[in-house]
Amino acid sequence: MNDVYILAIESSCDETSMAIVKNGKEVISLSTTTQIKVHAEYGGVVPEIASRMHTEVITLVLDSTLKEANMKMEDISAIAVTYTPGLTGSLIVGIECAKTLSLIYNKPLIGVNHLIGHVYANNIDNTLKYPLLALIVSGGHTELLIMEDDYKFTKLGETLDDAIGECYDKVARLLDLKYPGGPNIEKLAQKGKPTYKLPVPVNDNSYNFSYSGLKSAIINLTHHEKNLNKADLARSFEETAIGELTRKVKKALKETNIKRLVIAGGVSANQYLKKEMTKLCQEYNAELLIPKMLYSTDNAAMIGAAAYPLYLKKEFSDYTLNASSNGDIC
Amino acid sequence: MTLYIDTHYTNLVLALLNDGKLIDQRLIESNKHSENTIPLLNKLLNDNNLTIDNIKEIIVIIGPGSFTGVRIGVVIAKTIGYAKNIPVKGISYLQAVSLNYSENVIIGLKDKNGAFIGEFNPNHELINDYLYLSNIALKDYKKAIIYDSAVNIPKIASFLKDLPPINIHELKPLYVKRIEAEK
Repeated sequence: MNDVYILAIESSCDETSMAIVKNGKEVISLSTTTQIKVHAEYGGVVPEIASRMHTEVITLVLDSTLKEANMKMEDISAIAVTYTPGLTGSLIVGIECAKTLSLIYNKPLIGVNHLIGHVYANNIDNTLKYPLLALIVSGGHTELLIMEDDYKFTKLGETLDDAIGECYDKVARLLDLKYPGGPNIEKLAQKGKPTYKLPVPVNDNSYNFSYSGLKSAIINLTHHEKNLNKADLARSFEETAIGELTRKVKKALKETNIKRLVIAGGVSANQYLKKEMTKLCQEYNAELLIPKMLYSTDNAAMIGAAAYPLYLKKEFSDYTLNASSNGDIC
Repeated sequence: MTLYIDTHYTNLVLALLNDGKLIDQRLIESNKHSENTIPLLNKLLNDNNLTIDNIKEIIVIIGPGSFTGVRIGVVIAKTIGYAKNIPVKGISYLQAVSLNYSENVIIGLKDKNGAFIGEFNPNHELINDYLYLSNIALKDYKKAIIYDSAVNIPKIASFLKDLPPINIHELKPLYVKRIEAEK
């Protein structure tokens, strides 16, 4: 079979990213412009600003992606684009660019779910083997899934309210830390001790998560505690928030007897999470896959990786492809 | 062949011009430009036995209007312009409407909370900056505003004919309205 080169576009939040991925595994080029500095001034992503910035850089990112790969659009086999979940206005910028390229060059269009993209980020440097457990942890999602095969997901549990990444950003603001909150909380937590008793999110027998109670507890502490030790609170928060993940993953490893765990999404860059999951997987003799930093945050390479199985199955989208904010995997 | 793209408001308009003459024009009234624009462009080209390769220039309405709507037209224009290395010319909708008049005019475009306005001289050059006035501010606005939603596409093409094209990467929507966000 001929090699398949997919041009992938990702604009679901505050990164405009494009990549050319060969056969779903080899990243030929990846070009990403981030808006973090702009949004940091507001303490979080401002959707309208994000959409405006995507529009300004979209053809520049396309140009650098092609040049870095030393390829022409004619060499591309298909065009993939994130269509869900994300900020609708931002998604639309990438989608319109993808559809236009698909029309101009008469190449198949492949709509990709961003979260599935995060899972397939693990197929770039490693190879996904099934069945596996997938833990998706990001600014918008906290889900634990069983993946039986390419694109075959069964949901074990999900957050009942806030996503873990959202909770990290909120707590970062309460502790006067800059956006993005995750890395900054992590830094501060390293200097602290877990001295604060915080409520355990969902203390039941399900695989579900909850982060709003934990968030409220931190709001209360930051408003009422006089001699607040921020480093200790950051450490206590991190252990509680990640502890909730490890408890549910442990239960899944035990009950499903699946021997592979994949961590996906922006929060997978968290070192404490990596450490805890590594310990857990050693205990259960399971293989752990975490994407390297470059592919753990939002990027188009993972979209190209996730588009490849759809290309093989000829699951193409038509020109009416539109943005959807919801993004359910199953 | 020139492709005309207008997605700035509820009407999606695509048109083809040959040597400045309108040869086909399509309109869809909806708030789903993101679903409709590329299918309509595909149909417009097919019905005229054309491909993108026949398009040698693009004219795009850059705003003001619906932020998302305007972005759709601008992104499509930029992408085609970049990919096929053809010139793209942008014009504001208010300036396009001003081409219908040969005197000093103030052209307005209403949305639910107010109106975008632009004042033009008889040469259709913008006097002062574009403004967005709330419905309350509009009540106190003393000058006459023309709310005319008709544009003449060949007139736009003729007006833009001698203007240099915009650098594709620098083509931006005209939003006028600022973003409401607290720092």
